[in-house]
Formats: sequence, C-alpha cells, structure tokens
Amino acid sequence: MTVTRPEAALSQATPGRTEARPPEAERPRRSRSPRWAAVAFVAPLVVYLLVFYAYPLVQNVAMSLQRYDRGSFVNGGAPFVGLDIYREVIGQPKFWRIVGQTGTFTLISITVQYVVGLALAVFFQHSFRLSATLRAMFLVPWLLPVIVSGTTWQWMMNPDNGALNSLLGVFGVDPVWWLNADHALMSVIIANIWLGIPFNLVILYSGLQNIPTTLYEAAAIDGAGPWRRFWSITVPLLRPVSLITLLLGLVYTLKVVDIIWIMTMGTGTSQTLATWSYAMAFGKGTSSLIKYSEASAVGSVLLVVALAFGLVYVAVQRKQED
Amino acid sequence: MGTMSPRSAAGIGMVVAAGFVLAACSGGSTPEPGSTGAASEGTTTSAITFWDPYPQREAGSDWDKLVASCAPAGSTLTRSSAPQTDLFNQLTTAVKEGNAPDVVLLDNPMMPEAASSGLLATAEQAGIDTTGIDANLIGPGVVDGVAYGVPMGSNALGLYYNKDVLTAAGVDPTSIKDWASLNAAIEKVVATGAKGITFSGIAGEEGVFQFEPWFWGAGADLSDVGSAAAISAGQLVSDWIGKGWAPRSAATDNQSASWDLFLTGEYGFAENGSWFASAAADNKTFAAGMIAIPAKDSAVAPVPTGGEFAVAPLQSKDASNHYANAAAVIACLTGDAHGNATSEALGYLSAKAGVRATQVADNPLWTPWVDIVQGAQGRTTDLGADYVNASAALSEAIQGALNAAGDSSGVESAFKDASGS
Repeated sequence: MTVTRPEAALSQATPGRTEARPPEAERPRRSRSPRWAAVAFVAPLVVYLLVFYAYPLVQNVAMSLQRYDRGSFVNGGAPFVGLDIYREVIGQPKFWRIVGQTGTFTLISITVQYVVGLALAVFFQHSFRLSATLRAMFLVPWLLPVIVSGTTWQWMMNPDNGALNSLLGVFGVDPVWWLNADHALMSVIIANIWLGIPFNLVILYSGLQNIPTTLYEAAAIDGAGPWRRFWSITVPLLRPVSLITLLLGLVYTLKVVDIIWIMTMGTGTSQTLATWSYAMAFGKGTSSLIKYSEASAVGSVLLVVALAFGLVYVAVQRKQED
Repeated sequence: MGTMSPRSAAGIGMVVAAGFVLAACSGGSTPEPGSTGAASEGTTTSAITFWDPYPQREAGSDWDKLVASCAPAGSTLTRSSAPQTDLFNQLTTAVKEGNAPDVVLLDNPMMPEAASSGLLATAEQAGIDTTGIDANLIGPGVVDGVAYGVPMGSNALGLYYNKDVLTAAGVDPTSIKDWASLNAAIEKVVATGAKGITFSGIAGEEGVFQFEPWFWGAGADLSDVGSAAAISAGQLVSDWIGKGWAPRSAATDNQSASWDLFLTGEYGFAENGSWFASAAADNKTFAAGMIAIPAKDSAVAPVPTGGEFAVAPLQSKDASNHYANAAAVIACLTGDAHGNATSEALGYLSAKAGVRATQVADNPLWTPWVDIVQGAQGRTTDLGADYVNASAALSEAIQGALNAAGDSSGVESAFKDASGS
C-alpha cells in the first residue's frame, strides 16, 4: 500500500494557492502572444467552472427567489418573490427542529467516526500478522454500495425479527423499535458512523505513517509510557491531518441523503436539511407535491453552511503552510 | 479567514454574472393543451418512444412483447421504465425541454396535477378513444370536464387470507362483515400463535393508498383529515401494531415487502393488491383466498382505484405526428381487440365492462375482484389537483398513528397535527 501525505495532495488541489505570480516589473517586457496563450490555457477551466459550478449555483439561488410550481417550471412565468420563500421555510415550526437534527447527526457522526478511526489507526500502527488483511476488512463499508449497506442496516434493525434486537435479547435487553419516529435519528447515526469509519481510518493511518519513528524511540528512551507518547507525539503531530479529516467529514456528513433515505425516507427525527431538500425537490417522502423553490432555499442554506466550513478549511490550511 | 485579492474577486464576479446570463436564456414556452396539433392531421413516424412505470417488467416479458407488437407498421417502438415519481419528474423536464415521449403511462392520482400543469395533450387532440370506460375509472383522467387519457385497466385492494392459518384458528372468512368481526378473527388467529395481518404503511402515496379503504370505510372524507372518523381508522391500524397483530415494520414496508411477509405463511391476513392475485393462486406453500376489505359497519369498504393512464404529453415540435403515434399505440393497447391481453399482462381488470366480462369468463381468478373494482373510488375525484396536499397530510398522520402503537392520544394528535399543517 503506497502512502501519500493527504494534506500535501489536498493543497495541490486548491487552485490559485501555490502558483507563483510573475512580479509586476516583468510585465511590460512581455509580448502579447504569451498573454493570449495564457488566456487560451485558462479558457477550458473557466468554461468548465461556468457550466458546471456557476450556472447550477446561480440557477439554484434564482429558483429560491421565484415561486415555482410544476406548471410554471414547465411554462415559465414563476413570479419573483424576493426572500419570501426563505421567510416561509425558516418560519415553519419544523425548520429549527430539522436544523437541530442535522446538527446532532453531523456532530455525533464525525466525532465518533474520528475517535474510532483514530483508535483503529493507532492500533494498526504496529504491524502484526494479518494486520494488513484486518485493515482491508475495515474498508468494506466504504466499498459496498450504500443501497446494499442501507438495506442491510434496515433489515438488521427490524423491530420484530432483526439481528440487532436478537443480539440485545441475549443480554436481556428489551427489543428496540429502531426506525420509529423517536429512534430514527439514533439509528441512522449508527449506520452513518459505520459508513464513515474507513475514511477516517485511512486518512489518519497515513498521517501516522509520516510521524518519524525516531521520535517515539527517543521518547521511549526518555522513559515516556505509551499514553504519554500518544498525547505528546501522536496528537500534536497529527493535528494538521486531524483538522482536515474533521472538516471534510463535516461537509460530507452535512449533505448525506442516501443512507438516511434508504433506511427511513427521512421520517420522524431522521429528517435533516439535506433529506428535506431532496424530498421537496423531487416530490418524494410523505408529500408527492413538488416544491422547487422551497427545496432550493433549503439547498442554499446548506450551501452557505458548507461554504463557511470550506473557508475555515482554506484558512486553516493557509495557516499551516505559513 | 484568508483575504481575497481584487483580481480573484473580479474573477468570481465574472463567473457568477455569466451564470446569470446562462440562467436567463433557459426556459422556452409550450403550447396550450388542445390548441396546436391533432392526431388526425399527422402521420406515424419511424421512431416511437414509450415510457411506463414498470421497471420490474424487463425486456422479453409479456408486457414488453405486447408493447413492441403495438408499434404501427414501419415504426420502431423504444420502451423505457422508471418508478412512478421519477417518471412524472422526467416527464415534467421532457415537456419543458420539448423532447417528451410519444406515450407515457402515468399513475392515476398524478393526472389532475399533470393536466393542470400543462403537461398533457387532450384525449380528443391525441386521438385517444375514451368511450365505454366505467365512470369511476375514467374519473381521475378528467380535469375540468376535459379527458386527458385512458386507463390501462384497473387494480384494487383486497384482504388476502391464509386458509391454513384461518382453518387452524377456526375462523370462517365469510363471517368478516365489519371491523369488529375482522378484529375478532385476527385475535383468534393470534391466539393460535400465528401472526395477524400485514399491510404497507410506508411514507408517501403508497401507504396512503393502502390506508384509504380503512379511511373511507370509517366514513372519513379527504377534505378533513383530522375528523373523528379519520382518527378511528388511524386507531384501528395503530391498535394492530400496539397489540403485536401487525409487524412494526409496516411503517416502513412497501407493498412488495408486506406481501413477502404474508408469503412466509406466518400471517393470517394481508391487505394487498389485485396484481398479486395470480401469485396468490400459484402459491404452493399454503392456500390463499381473498375477501373484500370491510368497512367499519359494513362488509365492503370503498377502495381507491389503482392503475395508470395512457397519455400523450404535450408536444411543441411536430405535434400532430407525435399525437398520431400516440393514437396508434394507445388504441392498440386499450382497444377491444387487445384489451384482454393488456389486462392479463399487467394483472389488471379491464376498465371496460364488456371486456371485463370476457376476461372474468376466461379467468375465474378475477371473479371476486369485479365488485371491488366497480365500487372503487377515484382518489382525486373530490379534490382534483389538491389531492396531493391531502395525501401528504394523511401520510404524516399514518406515520404518527403507527408510531403511537395503539396509544389513543398519540393517534388523535397525529391526525390533528397533520390536518393543521
């Protein structure tokens, strides 16, 4: 298994950061043709950004400012209503409940994924027989299609004859109605944590590989125990990788629809901003009435939150490079 | 936060501005239904597109062959399938983009919304014959007095039972004449160690469809989801969950999952559709029978009409030729010559009384379903395009009632909350 430093790979992917700009003084000496060549080189990227990023984004915001229904979507003529849709969406009693559920889902998911991922990464740091095989097995949730794992979780969480309740029964625990309105959030969080551990494991494990073993050896000679070595070497040296793992996890988790939809269709407490937006955009879930504008508004709210954390990510990365 | 250079800010501004220009360009206009194009003025073309909501009927199935055989001479028909809601969304986009298929089979409760959103050509314009169809079955396809398509046949819901389980429990299915006698029968079945009843309470239209026989059977009306009659229907199914007579997974089971549970042979009863009638008859592990779903105080509750309408989407280019294609294919599928073959391929009863009589004579399997289909009620008949709102409220109420597991105050608040929103 080749190990790449994730933060190095990621910084390359951030456009406009590392390329050195020509000093202003050099400018006048240049002839025109390299300038046009530069434009020609940039053009495909700009066109790509326009068609696949700017257009959908603007279209999404434009949709949330007009009142669309199926008829005006087809025939045009949706009236411009300013921020009315946003006021209506935020004014609904369930909006803040769903925001809370989204927060709970995201924070618990990434915290537990990170802690378990780190524990496993440290565990696999020391090679032992079959460690590579075992590590590969932990990647299974990542490799399975979500439709398969989601359906399997739903089946295991069957309240009457599911595997999970049978297991609990062995320990004398009463059967749990996993996917009912009250427990739905807990159930989808459990499944989502299981899905996200491999990502954390892989990134943190490769981060650990970049900590020189000499540091551990020196600390051991100085009499540091395993616990002290973990807190004084592993944790501080892993901090850049940890921050990136947590921030990426946050953005990924915020927009999760598939696993929740397959298990509960966003019913009860398992409704998040992402599933709510999906349900309204395509007329799925309890209501088959399509709500283009409301779905776009919720989508825009999600975008702003994700963008805020994206900027935090960029800022953190910049600070680390300085 | 990082600071942004003026140049990159200008770049982003340009990108966003260009996006607005692109956004402003999109969106054309489509003609009014009934105004442009008529099947009689067009000729069939060499390529015909056909959309249906039956992804389970694969290439080479009876249905697939029947559809292919309905292409007029000199034409090739391309059939594609997607689930109901996706098909409706795809149709919406296709009409907007001006590349709609020639024929679409649309689920009947979607008809008023599709017609009032300007997605469909009128039946008259598209040369679709709507004569001889039962009034309750054509109902969902008639919006403001104009017919927009023709039903492909009809399915309905019934109460299947496991004869072996009922015999062991000493229950005579003909004794079930109302909710009280049904509950008594289920109680007897459960007392023998078997399980009670399976049904689908999944969120969305499918769960609402399954709940409507109980809802209407209680005397409730879709215009008032929070009524006492509605709550009593919710209490009925909620009690089944609470007493352990029905599986708690009913809240997430679709009709196929609920049928699979019945096929385990552990359950006494199953509410399910006529499309499983031949599967029930062919079942080897136990003998299955079927009775009508009882109402609160009578033996037969009104069930919602099920099944799709064949429609011609509104076309902006070469409209008359597209409508001529639609007219030819739909006439072949629903005309008297092929009507029986279509019904049998779909597992539906014909929507025409005459064809239905032949169908029942040929296949006695359908005999118990005839009265149910004839007494069925269109979901959108009372409310039209507003049905989707009532259905959404009812779906919330059903989910709440099933989660309440028999708790009467929980059931009541589920229905009250849903009707208020």
